[in-house]
Amino acid sequence: MTAPTESYQYPSPRTGYDEALDAAGAVRPTWSIATHAVGSMEPAALHDRQRDADRLLDAEGAGHLVHELALERGTDRHGVSASARVESRPWRLDPLPFVIDAAEFAVLSNAAIQRMRLLEALLVDCAGERQLVRDGVLPAALLYSLPSFRAHTAGFAPPRWLVHYAVDVARVADGSWRVVHDLTDAPSGLGYSLLNRAVLARLLPDGLRAAGAAPINAHADRLRRALTASAPADRPSPRAVVLSSGPAHPTYVEHSYLATRLGFHLVEGADLVMREGRLWLRALDGLEPIDVVYRRLEDAMLDPLEHGHQGGGTGVPGLVWGARSGHVALANAYGSGLAEAAELRPYLGAVAERLLGDRLQLEQLAPQEVLATAPVFTGHGASALEPRAVVLRLQVVNGPDGHSVMLGGAGRVLAPGDAPEWPTAHLAKDVWVVGTTAPRPVAVMAPPQVDFGPSVPKRAADALYWLGRAAERAEVAVRAARVVGVQFDQDPMLTSVGDGAWALGVGALLAAARNEPVQAAPELPLNVRLAGSLQATISVAAQQLASLVQEASSVREYLSTTTGRVLGRLARAHGLLLDDDSPTDELDSVLVDLAALAGLAMESTVRGPAWRFLDLGRRIERSLAVLGSVESALGADVSSMALQPLAEAVLAANESLVAYRRRYRSDVDLDAVLDLLLRDDSNPRGLAFQLDRLREHVSALAWSQGVQLVHHASSAAIAEIDDTVVSGRRIAIDGYVLSVRGPLLELAQAIGQHWFADPVNPTMMGGH
Amino acid sequence: MRTFRVVHRTEYTYGTAMADGFTVARLLPRDTPLQTVRHATIDVSPIPDEWEESLDPFGNRVVHFAVHHPHFSLAVVSNLEVGLETGELPIGEVPWRTVAADAAGARGDTAAEVGPFLAYTEQTPALAALGELTDDVFTGDRGVIGSVQHLCHRIFNGFQFDASFSDVSTPLRSVLAERRGVCQDFAHVSCAALRSVGLPARYVSGYIETIPLPGEPKLVGVDASHAWCSVWAGELGWIDFDPTNNQMPPLRHVTLGWGRDYDDVAPVRGVVIGPPSGQSLHVSVDVAEIF
Repeated sequence: MTAPTESYQYPSPRTGYDEALDAAGAVRPTWSIATHAVGSMEPAALHDRQRDADRLLDAEGAGHLVHELALERGTDRHGVSASARVESRPWRLDPLPFVIDAAEFAVLSNAAIQRMRLLEALLVDCAGERQLVRDGVLPAALLYSLPSFRAHTAGFAPPRWLVHYAVDVARVADGSWRVVHDLTDAPSGLGYSLLNRAVLARLLPDGLRAAGAAPINAHADRLRRALTASAPADRPSPRAVVLSSGPAHPTYVEHSYLATRLGFHLVEGADLVMREGRLWLRALDGLEPIDVVYRRLEDAMLDPLEHGHQGGGTGVPGLVWGARSGHVALANAYGSGLAEAAELRPYLGAVAERLLGDRLQLEQLAPQEVLATAPVFTGHGASALEPRAVVLRLQVVNGPDGHSVMLGGAGRVLAPGDAPEWPTAHLAKDVWVVGTTAPRPVAVMAPPQVDFGPSVPKRAADALYWLGRAAERAEVAVRAARVVGVQFDQDPMLTSVGDGAWALGVGALLAAARNEPVQAAPELPLNVRLAGSLQATISVAAQQLASLVQEASSVREYLSTTTGRVLGRLARAHGLLLDDDSPTDELDSVLVDLAALAGLAMESTVRGPAWRFLDLGRRIERSLAVLGSVESALGADVSSMALQPLAEAVLAANESLVAYRRRYRSDVDLDAVLDLLLRDDSNPRGLAFQLDRLREHVSALAWSQGVQLVHHASSAAIAEIDDTVVSGRRIAIDGYVLSVRGPLLELAQAIGQHWFADPVNPTMMGGH
Repeated sequence: MRTFRVVHRTEYTYGTAMADGFTVARLLPRDTPLQTVRHATIDVSPIPDEWEESLDPFGNRVVHFAVHHPHFSLAVVSNLEVGLETGELPIGEVPWRTVAADAAGARGDTAAEVGPFLAYTEQTPALAALGELTDDVFTGDRGVIGSVQHLCHRIFNGFQFDASFSDVSTPLRSVLAERRGVCQDFAHVSCAALRSVGLPARYVSGYIETIPLPGEPKLVGVDASHAWCSVWAGELGWIDFDPTNNQMPPLRHVTLGWGRDYDDVAPVRGVVIGPPSGQSLHVSVDVAEIF
């Protein structure tokens, strides 16, 4: 049994209302359930729980999280050197759930439904008859001065204004509840709630079961049904997308998570276009019709053609007009942001009486009111717990099943001094509703969606392709640094071999891995140059990891959950590579993670066009890397003393050293090395193998230009390489590399132009 | 009745081919108690793939059109012919306070009609500096028409017409501080000032025929889009005045439509989708009386 609360010295405030202890200092039943679920309330145990919660949140959310990485897409992507910085927005989950009794929750839940009905009625009236204005309930001067009132779309009567609604509620000092604010425009928090619950379900599986907490997962299915049901009437199998403004949006994590959970494409404005009254997705195979937009964009960012648009070139021109004409459904409808305006709150009581004939069940939080507190793990004090105010966000969906409130959700913990509407702290509590007697909801099958398997937005294919290239480039840089570093560590005298031929060769190998020309710095000793070169190569590897995670975060819904975890590890490795002085171990573990990523791409990704573009990126990059390593390290005519370690370095950099030794069991022979690396189609690290995969991909895409270019590369790749030496270079190697690389670079360029070039952001035309 | 013809040409050149272009045009005039629309067409080049006409919530005529094939430029030309009755100020007066009280207490259709024009907007915000224009104008039991005439006169005399000073995004605060601007600014100043004393005010978009200086020929295409203000005078109805030209009522003005501010009635609003490019805009307006 749980020890009495006093024994862990929770500093409960003796005034007001606290979720743990009542006025007499006795433990409330709901708090007792929370402490039972957590098990030990010893501070050390709570610290462990918090650490596990952090780790699990990272694991569940990783890959959705936008880490604090500089976005360096390199000069070759779209011909620009984009360098945007995206802040990470981490949040922590308190290991102690917020437990609420079903009977009390039912009161909140009814109040939330009433409020959603009220706000829907308000929107209908303001855009339609304006009876509230005519009757003097709502002053027109106020309504028409609100930026969120879309005066131009008045007369707009969408079948449903609010599909998804959320409301923040908080308990005040006398124990009763208040509304803090409404979210009607693009309500956030549902994805976070599902993520938080997934974490606590793994952290406290027995506790969750024993408490009998109501499951919340079905709410996402209700949302999906409500969204598909909101499609225009003549669409038998409606297609929906989740519309985001991209990774820079403050709640992008949940856009990505929800898209995955709902099974919809996550798209950005440039992926969509309005034509002939219909909305279309720019997919690889052309335009695909879209019927429902679950918009995670605020409506001021939705359509640059509309008045009051704030997003510059973001959004989809004509989308609002299309919705107004009934050809596409927006959830929530354009203009629904009006209902959350703070200026309307003083009128809502009268509006409820006028439109619903009813009194508001929950009052608005008044500025001077003191919020109740709940114990929150902060790590401070004897109990490691401190009392904090918590604001609960209730999620409501209105669909074919009627209104339904998610039985639980997320509570946001206020830091001292926080305004209840806008907490600064990113600390959440999972909300458990206990003691429900209602029967488990019966699962209702949604109408079938069109099979999205073969459909890929161009932007997603673009990002997947660059994800593939960045993954491979990162691996090339890491492996080169690793191989050269180990050779150097094991035999520091190598720098003097063949008058520095080894050092020059591996220096060139590292430069090739960085995709840079060799920097001549003859005034410095070879070993100093080599150390600098190793360091530079590791930072390039770190940059490539950053690009990899960036690209992955914009196409997270194509990657498996396990892939997400690997991405989380790689994001952390990025920081370690930059910090660590001798990161050999770190390099090894990055290689393991990159191998896991490659393996998951092969084993856990459906073989559709999305996968093909990911793999195309990999194969092109690997082909170029093999050619680069051969040209840089084996192109110079060096003594056999130097050739031996150089050839070993090239083989190891291409992960072919073991294969070479098993096959040839001999000292290094240059022809045999070149054969294994360039022409042996059974070596998965060799050029011939990559060209075979490229051929499969371009054929499967039925892309004649690609087929032709791969054919050129393959024809050049079977050429013989003789041992002619001119001016110290094996010119046959140089010639060979040049003739294979040419068509490959052309292929890379053609992929960008042929497959991805189209989507661009709209431009406003100048005013008068 | 006099007859006016307007030709308004707006031409965008993009420098490179755009894939899609979307335009919302408020270029077709509406009938008013003093204005009869005889003829109004819009010609667009290239020929749009989509075209839809409707009325906006203020009763203005709106055209949505879109081009969905590659195009290097977009030309929108409107040809209008309207008949105008000469406006005259109503006989009689109503105290401005009575009008303001009626507007504030309006119910039913009147509330729906005049209420929106009491609202401050981003382009017509509540500013303390408006008091300098209204404090000694809207006093005691002065009549609404006399007061508004005074306000119109004060803006005409107190503000410098300066086309180089402002554009559509210059905030009202700067216009009030610098006492200069163009017709759109003076219309915004008028609307904000009237709303600050509780009088409903519309921003009116349209054209004015410019009169050449004595002895000089009238040039074609030098006229411009124009804007002025309309005040609700209670039982006397809506009364237009032009603070840029100190005319109440206006005399040679063709009305397109009205709203709370410029944004509500911007003549052309457009978005294109295509590669980044330089774009240039050429506008010409020609207004002439037909005898």
